[in-house]
Amino acid sequence: MSYVLQKKDFWAGALYIALGAAAFWIGRDYPMGSSVRMGAGYFPAVLSVALVLIGFASVARSFFQEGEAVGAIAWKPLLLIVGATALFGVLLQTLGLAVALIVLVLVSAAASQHFRIELKASIGLVLLVAFCALVFVKGLGVPLPLLGSWFGE
Amino acid sequence: METLSNLWLGLETALSFWNLVYCMIGVFLGTAIGVLPGLGPVATIAMLLPVTFGLPPVSALIMLAGIYYGAQYGGSTTAILVNLPGESSSVVTALDGYQMARQGKAGTALATAAIGSFFAGTVATILLAIFAPPLADLALRFGPAEYFSLMVLGLVASIVLAHGSLLHAFGMIILGLLLGLIGTDVNSGTTRFTFGLPQMADGIGFVVVAMGVFGIGEIIGNLENESTRTVMLKSVTGLMPTRDDLKRIAAPILRGTALGSMLGILPGGGAMLASFAAYTLEKKVSKTPERFGKGAIEGVAGPESANNAGAQTSFIPMLTLGIPSNPVMALMIGAMIMQGIQPGPSVMTEQPVLFWGLIVSMWIGNLFLLVLNLPLIGLWVRMISVPYHFLYPAILVFCAIGVFSLNNATFDVYLMAIFGFLGYVFRKLDCEPAPMLLGFILGPMMEEHLRRAMLISKGDATVFLSRPISATMLILALVLLATVLAPVVRRKREEAFQEEG
Amino acid sequence: MTALKLLSAAILGVAISAPALAAGYPEKPVTVVVPFPAGGASDTTARVTTQKMQESLGQPIVVENKPGANGSLGAGQVAKAKPDGYTLIVGSIGVYAINPALYKSLPYDPTKDFDLLTVAVRTPNVLVANPSFPANNVQELVAYLKKNPEKVTFASSGAGSSDHLTAALFWQKTGTTGVHVPYKGGAPAITDLIGGHAEVSFQNLGAVSNHIKAGKLKLLAITSDKRNSAFPDTPTMKEAGVEGVEVYSWQAVAAPKGLPADVKGKLEQSLTAALNSPDVKGKFSDIGFEVVASTSGQFSEFLGQEINRWKNVVETGKITADQ
Repeated sequence: MSYVLQKKDFWAGALYIALGAAAFWIGRDYPMGSSVRMGAGYFPAVLSVALVLIGFASVARSFFQEGEAVGAIAWKPLLLIVGATALFGVLLQTLGLAVALIVLVLVSAAASQHFRIELKASIGLVLLVAFCALVFVKGLGVPLPLLGSWFGE
Repeated sequence: METLSNLWLGLETALSFWNLVYCMIGVFLGTAIGVLPGLGPVATIAMLLPVTFGLPPVSALIMLAGIYYGAQYGGSTTAILVNLPGESSSVVTALDGYQMARQGKAGTALATAAIGSFFAGTVATILLAIFAPPLADLALRFGPAEYFSLMVLGLVASIVLAHGSLLHAFGMIILGLLLGLIGTDVNSGTTRFTFGLPQMADGIGFVVVAMGVFGIGEIIGNLENESTRTVMLKSVTGLMPTRDDLKRIAAPILRGTALGSMLGILPGGGAMLASFAAYTLEKKVSKTPERFGKGAIEGVAGPESANNAGAQTSFIPMLTLGIPSNPVMALMIGAMIMQGIQPGPSVMTEQPVLFWGLIVSMWIGNLFLLVLNLPLIGLWVRMISVPYHFLYPAILVFCAIGVFSLNNATFDVYLMAIFGFLGYVFRKLDCEPAPMLLGFILGPMMEEHLRRAMLISKGDATVFLSRPISATMLILALVLLATVLAPVVRRKREEAFQEEG
Repeated sequence: MTALKLLSAAILGVAISAPALAAGYPEKPVTVVVPFPAGGASDTTARVTTQKMQESLGQPIVVENKPGANGSLGAGQVAKAKPDGYTLIVGSIGVYAINPALYKSLPYDPTKDFDLLTVAVRTPNVLVANPSFPANNVQELVAYLKKNPEKVTFASSGAGSSDHLTAALFWQKTGTTGVHVPYKGGAPAITDLIGGHAEVSFQNLGAVSNHIKAGKLKLLAITSDKRNSAFPDTPTMKEAGVEGVEVYSWQAVAAPKGLPADVKGKLEQSLTAALNSPDVKGKFSDIGFEVVASTSGQFSEFLGQEINRWKNVVETGKITADQ
C-alpha cells in the first residue's frame, strides 16, 4: 500500500478528484437551464464530474500498473520562488518598485546553491532595477509606484 | 490589373522615407519589448499606443503593425530560450523550441522561426492583397455552430500535444476547460468560480497562467536538480540551420503557412488555433512522431509559420469589415478611431493609400524582422549561456512586471505565484501543462458558441450536422480522435492477447 | 525618509523635474482611470479629451486602463482614491447608470462616491437588422414580433449592456418579445448580425454607420430625439410610433467625492474648454459622438433620471446579471 502512495498516478488522480469535487461543490447552485437556454451551471457540472471520473481512473491505474514514484519535493526552491513572487506583490504597493524588486531578486536567488552576496551580482541588481524603472515606468508608462505608500507618496 | 496598380500605390506609400522609418521603429520596439517575458503583443501595443497618436494615420498604423509582428516574434524568442510563451500561439513553439535550446540548438530554433515567419508573412501578404474581400465573406459564413465545431476539432487536436499518458492529457484538458470558465458567463452575466473577488470577474488572464505554470514552474523544476544540471545548456552547436535542417523544415513551413492563412481569417478565435493546428498536423504526418516534444525542428517550423501567417491574415476581417478578430486588432481599430478613421468596409475604397500602404508595409516589416533578428540570434544565445543562477531571478522580475502590466493589478502577480506552485506540482506528477492551456483558451469560447448556437436554433441540436462547414469539422474531429485512440486500443488488445497466449 | 527618497532617486537615475508652475493645482501629472481596456469608447473619449486638457492644465495626463467587472473594478478604486484632483475617471453609461440598476452589490455608489464633473459625449443607438430580415421599418418589425413571439434573435454586446437594456425597453414599450443573444462586446455581435446568424440589434451609431452605408446592415430607426444628419431619411423611434425609447450611450468624467472647490473649478473649466474646442469636436463627430459638455449640476440631475429609468427596465423585464 505504501508503494501506491508514492506513485505519480495516484497523486495526480487525487488532485483531479479534489479539484473536480471542489468545482462541483462551488458550482452546485449555478442554474442548469434547459437545452435551448443552457444555464451557467451546465458546463461546470459536466466538466467537474468528468474530471472526478478521470481522477478515479488515474488512482485505479496506480494500483494495477507499474508507475514512477513522485520523488522528493524541492521545498526550498518551491517556497522561496513562490514566496518571493507573492512578496513582490505586497511590497510593490507599500514600499514601491525599487524595494520590491530588490527583495524579489534576493529572496528568489537564495533558492540557488550558488547564492552568495558578491560585488558583481550587486552591481547587476542595481542595473536591473534601474533598467526596469527606466523602461517600464518612464518609457512604457506602466503605473508602478517607484516609491510606495510608506514613503508618503 | 487593378491589384497591380493598387500594389504600386501601396509601394509608394510604404517606401516613403518616413514610413520606412516608422515601420523599422515599430518592428524594433515590438521585438525589444516582446522579448521581455510576460509582455506579449497585446500588452506591448496597449502600452505603445499613445506613442503613435502624434503621427499621420498611415504611419501610425504601419508602426503599430510593425510592433505587432515584432512583439509576436519576440514572444516566440522567449518561448524558445526560456520556456516562457508570452501569448497563446507560442505555447506550442515552447514545446519543441525549448527542448532544442536545451540541446544547444537554440540558434537553429530561432533561425527556423525567423525563416518560417518570413516565408509565411510573404505568402500571407500576397493572399491579403489579392483575395481580401472574398476571404472576408468566407469569414462571415462562420456562425456560432461553425465556431463550436471548430473548437471541438481544436480540443481533439490538443490531445495530440501531449506526449505522455493519454489519461493525463484528458485530465489536464478538462482542468483547463474548468479554469477557463472562471469569470463572468457571457450568456447570462453570472459570475462563476470567482470566490466573490471582483478581480476575477473577467476571468484569469492567459499570460498569468502561462507565466506561472511554464515560467515559474520551470524555474523551480530546474533548481530542484541544480547540482546535476548546473550547466543548463550543452555547448552551442552552430547558429544557422544546416542543409539537412532546411530540407526538413521546408514542408512544415509550407503546411504551416497554408493552415495559418486560412485560420487567421476567422474572427472568432481562429488565429490562435493556427499554431497548434500546425503542430498537430506535423506530428500526425511525421514518420517519427515520438521525436515531438523532445526537440523536433518540424515542431518549431510549422507552428511558427502558421502563427505568422495567421497574424497577417487576421488583418483581413479588420481591414475589409472593421471586425477585430483578436484583442490586438481591437486595439488597431481603437487606433484608427483615434486617428479619425472609421473602420469598416469603406476603408478600402475611401482610404486606398492607408489600406494598400499598410499591406505592403507588412511585407517590408517582415523583411526588417528577418534582417533584425538573424544577427541578434547570436546575442540571445550568448544571453542564455549566462549562469542560470543569475538568469532566473531576472526572468522572475520580468514575469512579475509583465503580469502586473496586463491589468495594472498586483492581484495578477499573486495569481501567477499560485499557478507557479501548481506548475511545479504538475511537473512532479507528469501532468503536462500544454493541453491544459489549450483547454483554458478553448473552453470559454466553446461554451459560448454552443450555448449561442442552441439559443439561435431554438434548441435544435441538428444545426451542427445540417450546416456543411460545421459537419465537416465534426467529422474531421471524429477521424482525428480515432487515429489518436487507435494505437492505444491496439496496444491494449495486443497486451490482452499476450496474456492469453 | 527624505534621505531614502533621494538615495532611491539616485539609484534609479530618475530626475524628478517638474516644470516650475505657479503654486496650486496641478503640480504633478494627473491620472485618468478608464475602467475598460484600451481601444474602447471610454478609452477613446479619455484620450481625445485629455490630450487637449494637457495644454490648459500644463501637466501631463496619464490614461490608466483598469478593466474588470463591467467597469466596476476601476470605478471602485477611483471612489476610494484621494479627492485631490490627481485621480479622475472616464466611464460609460454602464458604469454610472446601468451597473447600479443591475447589481445588488457594487464597490461604489455613483451618486454618493463621486464628484460628477461632466457628461462629455453621447451617441444614439440605432435599430439595425440583417438586410435579409423581413421587416423594413419599425411598424413592420413590431407586427412581425407579435406574430412570432420569442422567435426573433436580438444580438447585444453582453448581458446587462446598454444595448441589451435598450432592446428590453423596446419590448416593454411595444408589448413584444424576442430572444436576447448576448456576445462578448459589440464587435462579435455586429459580425454575426452582418453574417445573418443573428437578426436584429440595437447598436451605437458610430459602431455600425459604415456597415449601414455599405449596405451590410439595414437601418430601421434611431433612438435620438432628432434625426441624424448622416442618415436624414431614418425616422426617430418617436416618429416611427414608439414612445419612450430615446436612448443615448454616454461617456462622463468624475472624481472621488470631496474635491476642493478651486480644483473642481479648474477641472470643469479645462474640461469644457477642451470638449468645445473645434478639433476635439471634429474628432468626436467623425466617430459618431456628439459633444455634450454638461455642467456638474446638469450631470447629477441627468444621472438620477437615468438610474431610475434603467432600474424600472430591469425590474419590469426581470433582468438579472448576477447571483
